[in-house]
Amino acid sequence: MSAFEAEQSVPRFAHGSRVPGWDDAVDVNKDPASIPDPATTAVPDDLRAEIEEHMSRYPDRRSAAIPALRAAQRRHGWCSPQAIDQVASVMRVTPGYLASIATFYDMTENEPRPDHHDVFVCTNISCSLLGAPDVFAAFQEVASDEDRIHVRSFECLGACDIAPMASVDGVYVGPLEPRDAQTVVDDIKAGRPVLEDRQLARRPVADEEARGA
Amino acid sequence: MKLLFDRVDEPGLNTIDVYRARGGYEPLRRALAMRPDEVVAQIDASGLRGRGGAGFQMGKKAAFIPKGDMDKFLVCNADESEPGTFKDRELMQKNPHQLIEGIAIAAHATGCNRAFIYIRGEYDYVADILDGSVAEARAAGLLNHVDLVVHRGAGAYICGEETALLDSLEGKRGNPRLKPPFPANQGLYQGPTLINNVETLSTVPHVIRMGGAEYAKLGTETSTGTKIVSVSGHVRRPGNYEIELGIPSREIVYGLAGGPAEGRRVKLWFPGGSSAPVLTEEHLDLPYDFDSMAKAGSMLGSGSIIVIDDTVPVIDVAKWVAKFYTHESCGKCTPCREGTRWTLAMVERMDRGEATPMDIEIMAGVQDQIIGHCLCVLGDSMAMPIASLVKHFREEIEAHIEAARARREGIVSPDSPREQPTEATV
Amino acid sequence: MPRPEVRMVTLTIDGREVEAPENSMLVDGAKHGDVEIPVFCYEPKLGPPVGACRMCLVEVEGIPKLQTACSTPVKDGMVVHTQTERVRKAQEAVVEFLLINHPLDCPVCDKGGECPLQDISYGWGGGTSRFIEPKRHFRKPLALSPLVAIDRERCILCYRCVRYSQEIAEDYQLVLLERGAHSYVGTFDSTPYVAPFAGNIIELCPVGALTSRAYRFRARPWDIEAAGSICTLCPAQCNISFTVRDDRVLRVMARDNPDVDDGWLCDKGRFAYQAVHADERVVEPMVREGGTLRPVSWERALDEAAAALSRARGRVGALAGDGATNEEGYLLGRLLREALDCNDLDSRVARGPSRETARALSAPALGATVPDVEFAHAVLVLDCEPMDDMPILDLRIRKGVRRHGMRLVVATSRPSSLDPNAAVSVRFAPGAGEAFLAALDAALAGGDVDSAAGAAGADPAAVRELARLLREAGDDVVVVWGERLTGGPRGEQAARALLNVCARLNLRRDGAGLLEIPSSANGRGLREAGVLPGAGPGWSEAADGRDAAGIARALAGGELGALYLLRTDPVRTHPDRTVWSAALARANAVIAHASVLTEGLLEHATVVFPAESYAEKEGTVTHPDGRVQRLRPAIGRPGGVRAEWQVLADVARRAGLEIALPTGAAATKLLFEAVPFYAGLSLVDLAADGVRWPERDAASALDAPAWEPVELERPPAAPSPNGALRLGTFRPIWAAPEVEVSPALRFLSARARVELSPGDARRLGLASGARVHVSHDGTGVAAEVVVRSDVPAGSAFLHEAQGANALSSGEPRLVEVRPA
Ligand SMILES: Cc1cc2nc3c(=O)[nH]c(=O)nc-3n(C[C@H](O)[C@H](O)[C@H](O)COP(=O)(O)O)c2cc1C
Ligand code: SF4
Ligand code: FES
Repeated sequence: MSAFEAEQSVPRFAHGSRVPGWDDAVDVNKDPASIPDPATTAVPDDLRAEIEEHMSRYPDRRSAAIPALRAAQRRHGWCSPQAIDQVASVMRVTPGYLASIATFYDMTENEPRPDHHDVFVCTNISCSLLGAPDVFAAFQEVASDEDRIHVRSFECLGACDIAPMASVDGVYVGPLEPRDAQTVVDDIKAGRPVLEDRQLARRPVADEEARGA
Repeated sequence: MKLLFDRVDEPGLNTIDVYRARGGYEPLRRALAMRPDEVVAQIDASGLRGRGGAGFQMGKKAAFIPKGDMDKFLVCNADESEPGTFKDRELMQKNPHQLIEGIAIAAHATGCNRAFIYIRGEYDYVADILDGSVAEARAAGLLNHVDLVVHRGAGAYICGEETALLDSLEGKRGNPRLKPPFPANQGLYQGPTLINNVETLSTVPHVIRMGGAEYAKLGTETSTGTKIVSVSGHVRRPGNYEIELGIPSREIVYGLAGGPAEGRRVKLWFPGGSSAPVLTEEHLDLPYDFDSMAKAGSMLGSGSIIVIDDTVPVIDVAKWVAKFYTHESCGKCTPCREGTRWTLAMVERMDRGEATPMDIEIMAGVQDQIIGHCLCVLGDSMAMPIASLVKHFREEIEAHIEAARARREGIVSPDSPREQPTEATV
Repeated sequence: MPRPEVRMVTLTIDGREVEAPENSMLVDGAKHGDVEIPVFCYEPKLGPPVGACRMCLVEVEGIPKLQTACSTPVKDGMVVHTQTERVRKAQEAVVEFLLINHPLDCPVCDKGGECPLQDISYGWGGGTSRFIEPKRHFRKPLALSPLVAIDRERCILCYRCVRYSQEIAEDYQLVLLERGAHSYVGTFDSTPYVAPFAGNIIELCPVGALTSRAYRFRARPWDIEAAGSICTLCPAQCNISFTVRDDRVLRVMARDNPDVDDGWLCDKGRFAYQAVHADERVVEPMVREGGTLRPVSWERALDEAAAALSRARGRVGALAGDGATNEEGYLLGRLLREALDCNDLDSRVARGPSRETARALSAPALGATVPDVEFAHAVLVLDCEPMDDMPILDLRIRKGVRRHGMRLVVATSRPSSLDPNAAVSVRFAPGAGEAFLAALDAALAGGDVDSAAGAAGADPAAVRELARLLREAGDDVVVVWGERLTGGPRGEQAARALLNVCARLNLRRDGAGLLEIPSSANGRGLREAGVLPGAGPGWSEAADGRDAAGIARALAGGELGALYLLRTDPVRTHPDRTVWSAALARANAVIAHASVLTEGLLEHATVVFPAESYAEKEGTVTHPDGRVQRLRPAIGRPGGVRAEWQVLADVARRAGLEIALPTGAAATKLLFEAVPFYAGLSLVDLAADGVRWPERDAASALDAPAWEPVELERPPAAPSPNGALRLGTFRPIWAAPEVEVSPALRFLSARARVELSPGDARRLGLASGARVHVSHDGTGVAAEVVVRSDVPAGSAFLHEAQGANALSSGEPRLVEVRPA
């Protein structure tokens, strides 16, 4: 099903839209979400220190929103309400402010996904021209039973020179074929470096005249 | 001629020692000995045009930055999210000090006391390298005049647009701002702000080293210097190449990148990332520079060539383009938010066999309704290539619509061949 | 701070020359030439334009691309086209795009008939759609809060509501979630958008996406009438418009008056109209018979009241409070002074400064206006919480900081909701306002700051910093202060200290000065009408009498025999609840005007006259900045309710004082004649926006000479906690009887809470949510603990919900907090 169809196929007057939240009312019995009081919000010391360090880098503390959310995500696995509350308490902003940011960006995780590995498979033009859809399908299949491996298709990751490619916990690998999916998943599970011979970081520049000594 | 990519794979180039050993940071020393306006004059004389997309002259932009003692900001745009573009990644990964030096020089030239490199979140491993290099440069006393911070994004193409980038850097959603005010007057934290692309800033040390006038001799009169071109898609040797602007496009696509596979021909190509209107095989003989691409109805953009051979139905290209911009539209302005979504719906319907040729008119009309009406150019970035696909390939699209309809309505076997690209559920 | 000057320039719109203010946005400029440019996202009240909806595209000669008229400033000689084919097509395109998602369910939409989307689609849309894909459908309507419903199908993502939450109310609760076409308006983790000013988003929404749950499906625009008046639920006196159908108030909307409210309302003002039609409302006169209040005829009630008052002639006290008009105050004064030979009347809850000092404080030259707060160089928020005490002013202060770079300094006992916006916040012990001012005075005059700051329990360095900021910010300094500062036995000294500070900062100038937040909605008007011991109408000299506390004691001690309560119940609102209960119990007669029977009246009133609601009332009230505003009846009075000016006049007549009052307007006329500085005003002058009397020539009648700084007494030191806690009390915005009886707002009714610092909570072994007993000398109240990290150690802040005034006495006090 296409992206557009997935959203459209909600039968008329029935419920079930694709974007979490569209169909949600608030819980009127909850307290409104103002800035969490530090006196009643427990924040792990190291997380607090990391967020405070980020805040200190900018003239306006709010600039640290993305780094702080990513730090909380590393710790909680996703931007859970608890994670956002903790960041909000340290940054002195409302949780709503942060939720608005966390749902805007692609790398912030808004669904429960504690402790997981990320596989972003590029499905943009250059990768798709060279077979990305099949690679993505292979990953989905291989990882279908792995709840700790989160496979997502991603827009251009900036590595069309190794298309079709994927980013595995931030490590760029490619070119990939569908059968590489299994190897990648095995590498992840074994805690090995992923597809060592095809990591982008080790690739020489294509421009031969530019290669160094 | 290699400037930016000069021996770029030299081991250890990303350390300050190796970089210095080959003369790095010498231009910075020279620039710091010059008056700021002298540095700006050199950059201006070089004719260096921005490498991030718009191709605006860096010297002019630097000259817009007001003088005075207020907090001024320099922002390096390292968001690099335009499909087909991957040059900044290689530049930063392999030669980070070249960029840091460029930033340090530009900061001196404009009096910026704070600088940020806004790098896309997906490039974490590159950002780690930059963090290390910035620390080295700071420790070596090279950044005494400017406080440089590497800021990581979190995945949003729109944050490459300069004003959305500023909002994002201020800790907000990455929505573009109205212009004017332009960032040079009121940018980051409302202060004067110079924004340039990684490649633009990485070129600055070479401009200072060579002298602006000398640099201007490279390339063509209005597209001076060298440019890193990212070539991808149906070519045998995809990757980044440093070329002198103005060489024939064919030399890049076929000469450097090896052209499409045996027996295939170039059906269409994007000369400047997926936002650029497509060109066809006949345009391959045009010189690759800003003006020639513009004259041909497209643009050089970020200098990223995506080559598509004759195995690919045009409707697929339209779908990838529409899907990308629909996903990346920030949603702030109406024509972009709704126009991209509607276009994607129409393209998908055409492919499913639920459209008639009349839908091509509507689709073209919708692109007209987007172009020039949006808050930033993201909307145009979809509308222009889509409109160009309709312009160059109307007949193929018509045929595709008819064939898909025939398949759907059982006039021909539904199994008759059609490579169905698997849809991503983004 | 100098306000921007407006220069008119000439531009050409659609071939016609138009004069418009330079740099106003084209959308507004075009109106000067009667040209309408359609907009959705543009709303100047929300700050700079965002240019998001693209509805306002027009052609400006010399610029190749179409420009958004909402963000293009008017320049001299500009040539603009709004009617060309290119513009028409672009505008049609935007309407088409917006309607792609819109459900077009106008027949069942509350906004239908008053909907900008309908109007613009009709005026600027193409009339057809080429969109044949299925529309998006979501569940609807959904609750966004108990007060607001959201229909996300209808939302056109214009950003108004979220900009409001972020940039006007600054509560940052309502946000946009997700991105692109998936974006939607929502809150964090399904929390409701409940905040004091949240209701404004209903009025801002240009489509039917945000609707009032209280108003939904109650009426169509063609069923209703709008009636302008003033909200008298708090001292902010916002200008409102009642939506009336069949003589019932169904809705309250803002009636933009930039000099008063800037077009915003708080949720109390927006929803407490429900109290007008509440079941609890008293609509008939009542007399106590056999221990219970029973409905009686007007004749009987008036006779009984007059008889009781006459019996107690010379021994009657009177209080006036919330919502009483100037005219009523004036008539009450005459009833007491002339008919009953009494001088014991008060409209303040605690003794204030002497008449002379009070006059100096209200000197016209020293008065600041509401807009002054916005444009000042610096504002000192002193011993008050605008959010609770005069909510709309809170938005004005935030606006000044955000838009004009005003420097805000806060000096309060309880942490303020404005602290995050303040350049400096200083805390002092509850009730130690006088000592704080003495310290500030010393800091400004170069004297000994430390000892006074010590007495105030404030940090001397912070006081010095605050003084420095006030001195250096610029000439225009406004001090926003709460009546509680000068209430109580040392009110005189506190007022003198305040006057010293004003003199040192030279605040007798335009754009600077004092703005006092009185403790009741028309506090200023009632004082000016003469409801004070020792001061008659217009602060004229009058025989001295007892203040509120004195009246309580005299009643309890049997020296006074009767009490007249004009729209107030001291058992509920005045300090020393126990004394007041005893006083009312002992009184022979308690005559009350009331719309709801609050506890003191229920138990002790002997005669109750049904009070008018503000929607039924005529007369005038005076805004804290001196603006005399006119109330106009929007609906008829229900049941047997009579005009209160008439009731007062009737009682007076029966007690032997004839006041000829053929109409309500006649009462106003008498008032204007009696108050020298109101002289020459007329109801017609007040028109819709009111008139600020300190700006009129007649204001000289209250002129006081410039204050020369005086030697201040040494302020008493705040009690040291020594294991106990200093008691601070405050009245939350929701602590009002109107809130309690409005079904929509009931969920917000103030609860008994006590705020503790984390340190004190830990020491006492208490956590947030714990039930405790807060007591002093054996008297106590039950409350729930709220631990707040910004509460200063050693203090406890009790919300003035029902009963909390049992503990307050108007004097600094220590309390114990124990688990219940
Ligand atoms: C939608 C959009 C995305 C963009 N993405 C990038 C980007 O990823 N990197 C970049 O350098 N410029 C990007 N740009 C261009 C920037 O807005 C800006 O022109 C550029 O950073 C200026 O630098 P330059 O003058 O050195 O090219 C983008 C523009 C748009 C409209
Ligand atoms: S809910 Fe209304 S005010 Fe808010 S974005 Fe949607 S249309 Fe605009
Ligand atoms: S009103 Fe101008 S863009 Fe919305």
